[in-house]
Amino acid sequence: MGAVREALVRVAGLVFAAAYAAFIVSVYARQPRTVQQLAGGVAASVGAYRVDPVNFQEGLRFFRNEQFLEARAAFERADPARQDPSTQFYIVDRAIARAPGGRLVVADPTLQMHTTDELRAELQRGLVRELSDLNPMKVLEERK
Amino acid sequence: VTRPLPAAREAFVLPALFLTVAGAGGLRIAPAGGGMSFVPPPLITLVLAVLLLGVMARAGLLIPTGLVGDHRTGLENASGAVVLLALFAASAQLFTCLTPDAGILRLVFNLFFLFLLWNTLAAQPDRTRLLRSLVVVFGWAYVVRYVALAALADPEAGWTRRLLTVLLEGAAVSGEPTAPLAGYIAFATLALYMIGLVLLPRPAPSEVVAVVAARAPDIVDAS
Repeated sequence: MGAVREALVRVAGLVFAAAYAAFIVSVYARQPRTVQQLAGGVAASVGAYRVDPVNFQEGLRFFRNEQFLEARAAFERADPARQDPSTQFYIVDRAIARAPGGRLVVADPTLQMHTTDELRAELQRGLVRELSDLNPMKVLEERK
Repeated sequence: VTRPLPAAREAFVLPALFLTVAGAGGLRIAPAGGGMSFVPPPLITLVLAVLLLGVMARAGLLIPTGLVGDHRTGLENASGAVVLLALFAASAQLFTCLTPDAGILRLVFNLFFLFLLWNTLAAQPDRTRLLRSLVVVFGWAYVVRYVALAALADPEAGWTRRLLTVLLEGAAVSGEPTAPLAGYIAFATLALYMIGLVLLPRPAPSEVVAVVAARAPDIVDAS
């Protein structure tokens, strides 16, 4: 009986050590910047992470009113660990890094972009300097 | 050869202690507050960790046959191997924790550790003396890194900074900004590492007599 108990303790210890080591390696790989991000990463790894729906809806409302600074603050409150790709989609292309396989589809009918590919292309287009940037009519282009 | 180690200590306590040290050793907290980052072990710390484990094995502080060997079952060997790997990772990250991140001081600290370990290896201390030696070496590194250098970089450090500035007059040593919390975490990390070393398997009494007889036969003869 003692030998069986000892074997069980050793097996449980191996499982514990493997899980703890994997957690430490994942923390070093993810490089969380705050305690919230660290805790959120742990919760996300076990599927227990949830965004705050009230702040998320508030963020969406600000976003649709083109109050982007306020929207960003609300989305940060909704997803303090920056673990939810759908929330991060509305902030920057961090969503691409967070999305499984780098691909994400957001079914928001008020947006003209719905995928991370379109978002990345739009961001890259915004970084390219070209002659058409001097066209003052460009400010009237419809926002995506 | 070693006193039997309780299964729970070998399977849970030692891996938990050493993995915690391995995780916390690379933690860096921005002095301005807030941001933290995790520094993986630089290559030199891996070399220092190998050297440190060699010193421990030579002094009898680490007895590899007490953790892995033909006389143990596969499960026991797996458990012992985890302890050894965790000890190696903890040792490497403890050096990362106690060494400045950049500059000439980083080189000085690494050379300091290298020569001290080399010297200890040549001196062939026993288990107790090596433990005391490690407390002194790591303790001094901690004080220099987290007290002296942090005070030099902190304009509000008061008399500590003034004293160090006077003592180091003429030497081009600049401090390294450190968040106060980082010092507490480093202290806890160092304490956990030393506790882990104390909990490692000890040699059996007969083995101790054999070691003493080999190194100081006059003591055994006198008794």
